[in-house]
Amino acid sequence: MHLLETRDLTHIYRGNVHALSGVNFVAERKSRIAVIGPNGAGKSTLFKHFNGILKPTSGEVLIRGEPITKENLREVRKFVGIVFQNPDDQIFSPTVEQDIAFGPTNLGLDEETVAHRVEEALHLLGLEELRGRVPHHLSGGEKKRVAIAGILAMEPQVLVLDEPTAGLDPLGVADLVAFVNRLPDEYGMTVIFSTHHLDLVAEMADYIYVMDHGRIVASGTVEEVFDRPELLARTRLDVPPIPKLIRSLQENGVAIDTAYTYERAKKAFLDAYTRRE
Amino acid sequence: MIDDLYFIEKYAYGESIVHRLDARIKLLIALAAIVAIVALPYSTKVYELGAVLFALFALLWAASRLPPTVYLRRLALILPFGIFLVGFQAFVKNPYYDVFHTIATLPFGIEVYAESVEFASILLVKFVVSISFIILLSSTTKMQDMIEAAGRLGLPREFTLTLGMMVRYIFVFAEMFGRIRTAMETRCFDPLDRTLPYRYRLHQVGYTVGTIFIRSYEQGERTYTSMLCRGHGANAGLYIRRKPLRHGEIAFFAATIGFIVLSTIVVYLQP
Repeated sequence: MHLLETRDLTHIYRGNVHALSGVNFVAERKSRIAVIGPNGAGKSTLFKHFNGILKPTSGEVLIRGEPITKENLREVRKFVGIVFQNPDDQIFSPTVEQDIAFGPTNLGLDEETVAHRVEEALHLLGLEELRGRVPHHLSGGEKKRVAIAGILAMEPQVLVLDEPTAGLDPLGVADLVAFVNRLPDEYGMTVIFSTHHLDLVAEMADYIYVMDHGRIVASGTVEEVFDRPELLARTRLDVPPIPKLIRSLQENGVAIDTAYTYERAKKAFLDAYTRRE
Repeated sequence: MIDDLYFIEKYAYGESIVHRLDARIKLLIALAAIVAIVALPYSTKVYELGAVLFALFALLWAASRLPPTVYLRRLALILPFGIFLVGFQAFVKNPYYDVFHTIATLPFGIEVYAESVEFASILLVKFVVSISFIILLSSTTKMQDMIEAAGRLGLPREFTLTLGMMVRYIFVFAEMFGRIRTAMETRCFDPLDRTLPYRYRLHQVGYTVGTIFIRSYEQGERTYTSMLCRGHGANAGLYIRRKPLRHGEIAFFAATIGFIVLSTIVVYLQP
């Protein structure tokens, strides 16, 4: 039994727009999964099936082996939390604190538990200082953190992030990456995200799904996917600079190990230089 | 319900001789038919002109190759507004008759008069014919084409620009509302959920409305700033390309307008 699975998932929007065709997607516990693909590939549509916002035209979505039904919808939404791309769509309460309390309150938790969860989420994302702030006085990065806190306060097992780095400054991106990477190990959560920042994929994911025209055109580990530059070019994507550079060096006869993350690449370069001396 | 907004124009994107007809011609023909049926002085002659104009409408609808159910559905949507006024007339006297004959007596001293029923049915004919032409126009013409047609016919640019932006932003806000609604569903909020306190739900709905207000205000500011950046000023307007009418369109326009005018005059003058 998988934590989250789609079988032959097909979604056709009204007006006969084929958004997803035969998608088979699997997520295991504590995994970090990236979904990459060009604009309009169907990434957001796929995510909206994970918690029953959209219903499959055909095929099925299984959460812990069970299909989503009207009866378990609430459970499913508690289990799978989605953070949308634009935090403004999500934050509408008068203060940060109230907005984070919104989800837990809807779950029917008692006041004490809600307060506790709000404290936890505020602390986890470093938002204690901003608790009384009005949402439209927050910066883009702060809004993003509030949006994530609002979902985490519901204590989901699966966190889905739609383009989490869009519109963040470099430090904001680095903070987010570090934060997201803590979730699987410290809280046993599964993280699924989509992004156009391909250089982050190796830092944030263990497994990649590549989507194009509503289909999954490839999937595999970071190495397996980034070893296929022709596939990435065909889907309007590109190999990130680090593996691309290392590959060029290898092709020109430099003895250097393949690496995908910054830390690994640093080590590969240092090793290669040491060997020369 | 808001999702239906995206499909409001579905039929206007059809392909037929009526769809391809210049929007100016469709606009003027619809206007002419409405003016004709409304301007014909009150008498039972309205039935005859009504039948003639409805036949014209039916012919054009058939030529548009849209299913009759589309017309009936849209008519059913608007009808209640007219039916209320029309139905009410059957119970009251009106200034067109001197003598009223009671045909039915209801409790509480309410009476139905033969003359009032006639008045009501004439009103209904005028209403149905007018609405039918509006439905024909809106089911075969895109909103953007309608605005351009109005511009080509001389509607001041202050109006065309505003209308054009309105059409554009209705869709922007429908999308914004859709996204907010999805985000709320994700966090398990349902305004009709009885397990949550009534006041709490009311508050949240209030916040949502407030958020949409603030966001639409901000969107307006952003759009206006970007308009200024592209030289928006007192002389700005919607760009409307010149589009000469084809000979066939002019001939069709002249024939149809001639038919409407002539049949109105013939019906009016006959003893």
